[in-house]
Amino acid sequence: MSKPNDLVLGTLDLLLLKILALQPLHGWAVGLRLRSMSGDVLQVSEGSLYPALHKLEQEGWIQAEWKQTENNRRAKFYALTRLGKKQLETETANWERLSAAISQVIRLTEA
Amino acid sequence: MRIEHWWFTTPLRLRSLFRRRRVEQELDEELQFHLDHLIDEGTAAGLSPAQARRRALLAMGGIEQRKEEVRDTRRVGWLTDFLADLRFAVRGLRRAPALSAFVVLTLSVGIGWTAASFAGLDALVFRPYPVRKSSEIVALVSTTHDNLYGPFSYREYLDIRDHVKSYAGVIAHTTTAPAGFSSRAGAAARVKNAMLVSGNFFAVLGVEPQVGRAFRTDEDAVPRRDAVAVLAPDFWKHELGADPAVVGRKILLNGHEFTVVGVAPDSFPGLQLFQLPDVYVPLAMAPFFSTDPQKRFLEDRDDRELLVKGRLRRDSTLQQARNEMAALARDFAREYPELDGGRAATVRTQVEMRTRGDRMEWKFMVIANVLALAVLLVACTNVAGLLLSRARTRTREIAIRLALGSGRSRLVRLLLTESLVLALLGGLGGIVNGALGVRFFDSFQIPSDLPSVPPFQMDLRVLAVCLGVAAVSALVCGLAPALQSTRPDLITGLKASDVDPPGRKRLWGRNALVVAQVAASLMLLTACFLMARAFRQSTLQTTGFARDHLLMVRLDPRLVQYDATQTKQFYDRLTARAREAPGVLGVALSYHPPLALESLEAVSFVPDGFQMPRDRETLTSATDTVDAGFFDTMEIPILRGRGFLASDTAEQPRVAVVNEQLAKHYWPNSDAVGKRFRLGHRGGTPVEIVGVARSIKYMAPTEKPMDFLYMPLAQQPRARMALLLHTSGDPLQLAAPVRDIVRTLDANMPLVGVRTYEDLYRYHTVEGPGVAVHMIGTMGGVGVLLAMAGLYGLVSYNVTRRTRELGIRMAIGAGRQAVLRLVIGKGLTLVMTGVAIGLVLSFAIERVMNTALFNSGHVDFGVYLLLVPAMVLVTMLAAYVPALRASRIAPTLALRYD
Repeated sequence: MSKPNDLVLGTLDLLLLKILALQPLHGWAVGLRLRSMSGDVLQVSEGSLYPALHKLEQEGWIQAEWKQTENNRRAKFYALTRLGKKQLETETANWERLSAAISQVIRLTEA
Repeated sequence: MRIEHWWFTTPLRLRSLFRRRRVEQELDEELQFHLDHLIDEGTAAGLSPAQARRRALLAMGGIEQRKEEVRDTRRVGWLTDFLADLRFAVRGLRRAPALSAFVVLTLSVGIGWTAASFAGLDALVFRPYPVRKSSEIVALVSTTHDNLYGPFSYREYLDIRDHVKSYAGVIAHTTTAPAGFSSRAGAAARVKNAMLVSGNFFAVLGVEPQVGRAFRTDEDAVPRRDAVAVLAPDFWKHELGADPAVVGRKILLNGHEFTVVGVAPDSFPGLQLFQLPDVYVPLAMAPFFSTDPQKRFLEDRDDRELLVKGRLRRDSTLQQARNEMAALARDFAREYPELDGGRAATVRTQVEMRTRGDRMEWKFMVIANVLALAVLLVACTNVAGLLLSRARTRTREIAIRLALGSGRSRLVRLLLTESLVLALLGGLGGIVNGALGVRFFDSFQIPSDLPSVPPFQMDLRVLAVCLGVAAVSALVCGLAPALQSTRPDLITGLKASDVDPPGRKRLWGRNALVVAQVAASLMLLTACFLMARAFRQSTLQTTGFARDHLLMVRLDPRLVQYDATQTKQFYDRLTARAREAPGVLGVALSYHPPLALESLEAVSFVPDGFQMPRDRETLTSATDTVDAGFFDTMEIPILRGRGFLASDTAEQPRVAVVNEQLAKHYWPNSDAVGKRFRLGHRGGTPVEIVGVARSIKYMAPTEKPMDFLYMPLAQQPRARMALLLHTSGDPLQLAAPVRDIVRTLDANMPLVGVRTYEDLYRYHTVEGPGVAVHMIGTMGGVGVLLAMAGLYGLVSYNVTRRTRELGIRMAIGAGRQAVLRLVIGKGLTLVMTGVAIGLVLSFAIERVMNTALFNSGHVDFGVYLLLVPAMVLVTMLAAYVPALRASRIAPTLALRYD
């Protein structure tokens, strides 16, 4: 699977969950949101977004629904499930623990 | 959490599986939607539509690859792939039907054999007691230096029952001597298997009667008081017509009236394996079933006959129970030093009881299982060889698949699926073979007085093992070829068909295997033929006595508590009456009739004036106690002196008749008649030899002559005897009159066994050895089959490998015959080597069999003249098929082959 190089490994799931927690979106919009929210720092290659989304769907964390877009086209909208909310919480907690730990280590070496 | 997870994901998986097209469509649409947006973005940035499209596609990084990645996330790939592989495998196998059939056959033999021998082992060792929570049931055993699995006496059982704390209940049971059963007074008694059980037997085992009730605990409290019986399910059905109103009915056991209180359920045929009880009675009724008036089972602390079992309490461990028993045994030894001193006690599990060191059956089964696994392994090796030769022809296909980007593990999976299909078909065949094998085990009936019930069966456990073994063999025989043929050296694979360099080493193992198979199967077949021949000859040999028109009826007056006088009186009257019956030419009594399938008794004696060998105090000989009519009735000629007479009574000096062999053995140069010996020891009763009888066959028709000593019944009274009737017509016609005679003498006296000598003889010469002949013959046949499979695989592998070379040979003028010879020659070398080794082994085994089993000392060349060419022919057939294929290679095709 082609991995986005500039994303910390394994954090794509967390980001996608977070974005979808705010509002249901289709794949294209998820990509745009990811880019805009992180100020273009975090970029996902166009292709690898869908395998990631489908993986989350198969895990039961998000669920999809076909709806009309504002341009009147059918698109697959993803929304967080109950399970997904729990997962987001765990992953957020994990991330916070990890990043805190890492920054601590970095500060130590500087000192 | 887990359940919620499944709740969300299961519908998705099912959707991916069953609405695949819809899911794919949605995926297309979703990606198209994204692509359109990307293109729009491009055109908005000023690119031409074509450029924008190109950029967009590049950015997506290959739509098909993305789709494949998405499909991988669905987690059903393994299943859809597997189904696709399955279809592919079946198609491939159908294209080579002969090869597939052969592989399936080979595997089914191996798996079937394994299944049948596992069924045996399961029945003898693993199958749990047919009771509730059988793992809690343990056996309590009394141990001595010699016996680690000994029974307890009734008194000991009572003490154990009242003192131990580790159990929810402690039961005791024992099988009585064959008991005479009659459904009503006056009807002739027949022998049945009665089991004495403690009152809590059914309750502790958790066995609920299907009719009526089980015993109450107080029903074995007072000796001889509660004459109640619980019937075994089969007995109820066959003897009482499954009478639903059986409760309250009276039946007679050894002449005593018992009231039926219940019927055990069908699920509980008994705790033992071979001998199933017909009737259960309380332990306190034991005096009615005793055959020894000297013994007081309920009182004597050293009359140890009870098998004691307990249901462990849930909160106690085996170790606790063991410690407790050991402590209790020490208490016993302290309290009763002369009866229980030197004895210990322990607790054993079911498997421990069934794998006791002094039993042979389960060891045979273990050996059979090991043998079966060896056969299966060889079968798998051969199948691997066949698959390898097939995979070889597909080198190119596989190389192309690899080149197109298929993963190696994916390809291995594809090839393994193929062998899995073969193995599963083989497994199904194996189930059939195994069932046949189990039937064969079951068909083997030893002629005994009470029918033994073979415990072997093809149950779910065995079926599961069958399929498990099939799956494992798929892996064993498929993995090596799959790994070897997917080795990713693409260049050579694409370029040439003969990938590996012509090496001898690689095939050495397989060559050796073929040679070994040919040799072993030749040896087994020889052994089989020799045995069959020897037993056929033995049917032509004389037994030394008149065995046709001879009926044998076994009786045991102890069952109805006769004392010595009553017994003598009974036999005197019986023989007198029987002699008068129409169609009876002669009547005799014998304690141990010849060929009766019991171990012979031995007697020690010291001849007067005989120079004893230095290291021995006494001589021994097999012996029988017979009445005066024996030698005439059995038509055993008295060579010198006389047989027994009615005048040889207990008051007269002791006499004996010896056989020719014994006479020649100890008095080679003088007449044995008139010689004297002491019975038992130097100072024993003096006995005079009054006659020499011709030697006959005593144990088996194939035995060598043995020493034998006859003693008169009048001087050596016995209770259990066999009545022998020499008849003018069909001996079985006399069975009913004899039964009537016995009934008029005493209606409660059971006929323990009624059988003609022809039956016994047939068992000795046809049925018994038939089992051995069958078994060895089957092994030999399987050996041939395996050898064929091995050879076929090997030769066709060679042919495929050498296709190009053969093509060149043919192109420059080699004829088809030459190619045929070339290919087959190698196979012939192997077969001949195998035959040579097999012949050496066969000669060896023939010598062993001749000296150990049979009496004939000559080598039978006829067998070899028949077997060796047949063996060569059959195995060469396996080589011929691929060789023929090689000779039909069109040179033009062969040269383009790579």
